[in-house]
Amino acid sequence: MVGSVDNNSVEGNAGDVFYRTAVRTAVLSGLFCLIVGGFLIYNYVMRTGADERRVNELDELKVEVQNKPDDEQLIARFRKLDLQVRKTRVRRLDFSRRGGYLLFGGAIVFFAGLLWVVSFRRKVAYPKGGIDYDEIQIRESALSRRSVGVGAIGLAVAGLLLAITIGPEFPTGASDGLTLSGGLVETWSSFRGLGGSGVYEWKDEVSSSWNGKSGEGIIWKSEVSLSGYGSPIVWKDRVFVSGADANSREVYCFDAVSGERLWASVLPKIAEANAVELEVMEDTGYAASTMVSDGRRVCAIFANGNVGCFNFEGKRLWSVGLGVPDSTYGYASSLAIYRNILLIQYDQSYADAGKSVIKGLNVLTGDILWQTPRPVSSSWCSPIVIKAAGREQVITCSDPLMIAYDPNNGAELWRADCLGGEIASSPIYTGEVVIGLEPYTKLVGVRPDGHGDVTKTHVAWSVDAGAPDICSPVSNGELVFLLTTDGTLSCFKVSDGSAVWEHQLKGDFKASPSLVNGRLYILSEQGVMIIADISAGFSELAQCALGERCYASPAFADGRIYIRGVKNLYCIGSDSKR
Amino acid sequence: MRRFLIFMYFSTFLSVGAGAVLGAERFPPPEFVETHHQIPSPTLPGPRVDVYEYLDVVVLAAALCLSSYLVLKRRSRKWILGLMLFSLGYFGFWRQGCVCPIGAIQNVTLSLFDSDYAIPLTALLFFLLPLLFTLFFGRTFCAAVCPLGAMQDLVALKPMKVARWLESGLRLLAWVYLGSAVLFAATGSAFVICRYDPFVAFFRFSGSVNMIVVGLCLLGVGVFIGRPYCRFLCPYGLILRQISRISKWRVTITPDECIKCRLCEDSCPYGAIREPSGQWDREYYVKSKKRLGILICLVPVLVFLGGLGGWLLRGVTSEVNSRVRLADRIYMEETGQVEDTIDASDAFRSTGVKAEVLYEESAGIVDSFGRGGWFVGGFLGLVVGLKLIGLSVKRGRSDYEAERASCVACGRCFEYCPREQVRLKNLREAVGKA
Repeated sequence: MVGSVDNNSVEGNAGDVFYRTAVRTAVLSGLFCLIVGGFLIYNYVMRTGADERRVNELDELKVEVQNKPDDEQLIARFRKLDLQVRKTRVRRLDFSRRGGYLLFGGAIVFFAGLLWVVSFRRKVAYPKGGIDYDEIQIRESALSRRSVGVGAIGLAVAGLLLAITIGPEFPTGASDGLTLSGGLVETWSSFRGLGGSGVYEWKDEVSSSWNGKSGEGIIWKSEVSLSGYGSPIVWKDRVFVSGADANSREVYCFDAVSGERLWASVLPKIAEANAVELEVMEDTGYAASTMVSDGRRVCAIFANGNVGCFNFEGKRLWSVGLGVPDSTYGYASSLAIYRNILLIQYDQSYADAGKSVIKGLNVLTGDILWQTPRPVSSSWCSPIVIKAAGREQVITCSDPLMIAYDPNNGAELWRADCLGGEIASSPIYTGEVVIGLEPYTKLVGVRPDGHGDVTKTHVAWSVDAGAPDICSPVSNGELVFLLTTDGTLSCFKVSDGSAVWEHQLKGDFKASPSLVNGRLYILSEQGVMIIADISAGFSELAQCALGERCYASPAFADGRIYIRGVKNLYCIGSDSKR
Repeated sequence: MRRFLIFMYFSTFLSVGAGAVLGAERFPPPEFVETHHQIPSPTLPGPRVDVYEYLDVVVLAAALCLSSYLVLKRRSRKWILGLMLFSLGYFGFWRQGCVCPIGAIQNVTLSLFDSDYAIPLTALLFFLLPLLFTLFFGRTFCAAVCPLGAMQDLVALKPMKVARWLESGLRLLAWVYLGSAVLFAATGSAFVICRYDPFVAFFRFSGSVNMIVVGLCLLGVGVFIGRPYCRFLCPYGLILRQISRISKWRVTITPDECIKCRLCEDSCPYGAIREPSGQWDREYYVKSKKRLGILICLVPVLVFLGGLGGWLLRGVTSEVNSRVRLADRIYMEETGQVEDTIDASDAFRSTGVKAEVLYEESAGIVDSFGRGGWFVGGFLGLVVGLKLIGLSVKRGRSDYEAERASCVACGRCFEYCPREQVRLKNLREAVGKA
């Protein structure tokens, strides 16, 4: 208060006593803080100095123990030192915690004392006269403008210097040559690779010459115990395939370098599958679905609706039964994965039966995270996960709908009533439209940026075409290529679906074509890979015979080709693994 | 004695800092070499019970109400000081400085730019409530509710005046800080306000050495320059400054009329008191008009230059993003610029994703920083332009006034006013009427 802020208050007897008390409080508490702080600093120095040396000694001893696990004396020494280090650490942490509280308390008293001292030293306001505030204001405004100007220029110069000296090291123009997401990874973790596109880009030439009989170009060949039409999948140095018969369901893991079978794990039949006699067509088999991996786990689904998840060491993590599917030819849809969600398109029976569903399972536990009923009939195609219109989408095809779901919760995003028949060809996304096939009848392109029923608004084009009944299409973003089982290869424009050219191949075809470094790789049932340049129409470059019948689509990873024959798994490419 | 006290003061701060450093230690888990026992993964502690989060909001609202009452009605520095201590204790040491309205700027920004991010209701309320109160009552949040402000206010033992021209220039730092925080939050890269909160280490008795040193420096400077963080760095304070310019009610030095005794003119440690001023002379007025015209024309140029600067800085600003840093690291490892690897690069390689994909993704992030840089840089250019214009405009005052934007409503000036003493019946009514 104005009345109390008087220097004279310090001079009075009572004021003098209070002032001295305030000073002593500040001094004593300050000394206390200094002492506590000193101990804490000592404690910290010891922790980072002497204690650290003992920790290093412990680390060295640990390595020794690992090298000599039977040396009891060494182990006893290790234990003793370990205990000492821990005891010291606990003691120092306890010390610093208690010291911190003491310091905090001391600091409060210290500041209170200082405030008290300051309260005695406040001076009475005594304004000077003869000040021209208008003049001061004008001068201050001018100086402030200069200050802001200089500050802004200083910041700009500093920014410019930073911009010159700091910047990304990596090539920021890397995106120029990358078009589709399908082939940009070293893994091939699901049916037809990432996004189910069947497109693969590799920095070097991918093998275009091999011979199964002579062994030329074949890096390794390993027998797969149980048959299956599912494609191989690859994650770094591991190759996985599944196989099954009426009695057993197995998952195999091979070393991508040597071809050695690392493990085989059995998925026991889940109780409900025992109750129903499972009948599948020979062309479908018991393991037609391709597996999927997230890099730490690998999941498989079999014809009886049993799903199993294994770690990379072959240990079964969980298994669930989805119920034996009511499918005319047998279940064949492959699995897909989105983050930690395993996606299963489980279409059965007729649309009216209400049995079809799409499920999202927690890949860690097998728990169902969400499931959405689908008003569709049986299908044998696989879902694909794409990112389009700023959102992740799971695209599914069936009779009669192409439906997109939100992979996070299974909510339907859009649907187009544009398909029919028994659909086994999986959809693809070209970056512009999602392409779906109605067997023998038509090719449809749907823009994936709609909501609700987009049949009348987002079907970009629909053209009559002799569409395949099994093989899935492949596209380079401008053209889309279709392959029928009898070998008719046709090319259409992505922009409007108009036909460009058609070529008849020799052989029968069940495996879907792939686009590798811009070339078509087409694998026939007879095990012959036809490699063609499609930059200006169809131009065959090579034919490579494996000498074994093949039904599964090939996998591409790390510059190599993995082909599953009816009995063996082949790795094709150069010997040197990257 | 005075020198000794100053020495003790700095020594104490260093000691407090050392204590906080020690608090950052973590006890490493034991290793069972012989039995190969795998220590189970630690389970995360459960989220704070919702009711406590809402209690925080209730406490904030109550503190804002009380602060507004104490500043505008009760006009009591002592009570404001009491509330300040409570806020420091509750929002600072008890709630450990989180959630706070300053950091909530980033939550709000991220929620606007990232549709996948749902802002917690409490964060939104923490952001909005002080703004709402400022709109009506001025900066009563800064007065006694903000723990950062309270901490600095308490250590302002020997505040000196900062020249207004210097203050105008230094405040640009706060605008840059606000712009950067918004840019980094909008791109989902970092919450820099939280990461570089200078006082949170004290609230938590734990923190990085760098931030403890920065905090100690700010507190040390705060002894002689009142609330340096609030005045020259606080991004939320900037927003409150602008809103308080149009607040319905505001702090007044005098409870009724200004008698121009000038007793208050040096009472504000934050330089918020403005003197009465008359009319400019005609010659200066004409000159000022010309200058104003030039500055108004200069604004679009400053906006463009600012935007261009923000875009040019995209390479620098994007380095805050962890993906961009990872891409840098991978590139350096791939090209042999560094020999060893780090955990992040090992983890990336274990995913099997090609480096080109990472480069492509990172290039996209750099582009988004470029776009954001245009907006933020342009905004900063606009700020500079408007500040220059504001400094060229004459503001007439008949009384001594606490400037609406700068006044943090700490209540220090009340007791200097004789009319306040009359109101408190410490002086006779005749004072000021003479």
